[in-house]
Amino acid sequence: MELEQLLESCPEYAKDLKLNLGAVLRQTELTERQTWGTAVCSAMASRNPRVLEAVLVEAARHLDEPALFAARAAAAVMGMNNIFYRFRHLSTNEKYGSMPARLRMQVIRTHGSDPVDFELWCLAVSAINGCGVCVDSHEKVLREKGVGEETILAAVRIASVIHALAAVMDAVTV
Amino acid sequence: MLGVGEHFPAFSLSATVSIDKGKAFQPITGQDYPGKWKVYFFWPKDFTFVCPTEIAAFGKLNHEFQDRDAQVLGGSTDSEFVHLAWRQNHADLKDLPFPMLADIKRELCAALGILDPKEGVAQRATFVVDPENIIRFVSVNDLSVGRNPQEVLRVLDALQTDELCPCNWQKGDAVLKV
Repeated sequence: MELEQLLESCPEYAKDLKLNLGAVLRQTELTERQTWGTAVCSAMASRNPRVLEAVLVEAARHLDEPALFAARAAAAVMGMNNIFYRFRHLSTNEKYGSMPARLRMQVIRTHGSDPVDFELWCLAVSAINGCGVCVDSHEKVLREKGVGEETILAAVRIASVIHALAAVMDAVTV
Repeated sequence: MLGVGEHFPAFSLSATVSIDKGKAFQPITGQDYPGKWKVYFFWPKDFTFVCPTEIAAFGKLNHEFQDRDAQVLGGSTDSEFVHLAWRQNHADLKDLPFPMLADIKRELCAALGILDPKEGVAQRATFVVDPENIIRFVSVNDLSVGRNPQEVLRVLDALQTDELCPCNWQKGDAVLKV
């Protein structure tokens, strides 16, 4: 299904989201690749199959295979890391901080795409999955790599709207 | 013998890669597998007793190593022709999915420090090398004791569980540079 069609089926109470989506995808702070990669990884992290499908159909027109791979990799690996490191952060037992994770996360090294883009996508997924430590650390890395707050926030807006739409679409099928 | 943290020596050797005539030999260097881990394992002599079982065992696990972005490379001080004859001769080696390096000048084995002082051939040494060509694991057995490739796979797995995400950032730590 095309994104346009999906948005047509958006209920009246969620009209703000429908209009926001257009705006956040058309912004100029992010490159085309960053925009659509963020949309892809956010849709994956938001777990509604119809939103994901529609986003993927449109994203394929803006992203090459390596970027698509890397955006999905960000959602995949952060799906794990957000839970693991959030646990460490939530637990008051500091011992967990010194115990090895023993979790493979090689794709962070081998994703094959632009490192700044990948970092941005990891940040977007972390914002959705709600890991404070992850959000903080990825945000710091991005700024060290010269990315400004405006750009970072633009990505978070995309993540926020896509996540909200996914929740609405979950509700629409019930 | 070279240890963990040292650079794997540069090399350029002929290797036996298949038993198909005309496609049997290929030159291989340490730079040929960019971005990959390498598992180098050496044995004393072709056509001897312990070696084929080990080599075949590595062969059976080859796809597991490939899954972990690791290239397996066997080697001895025998020539590429001896490797070819052995692969043609031994049922378990006919379809071996990885190359056999021919370190006939003994330069690589000498640089690694694995030449047996008495016999002059390679000891049963295994090196796991990361994509930056740094040695991350070394193991040597006496000439008559075989290796356990499952153990090498376990070690590779453990080496690859580096915490690469800045999410493991503790306040006050320098940010991880990937």
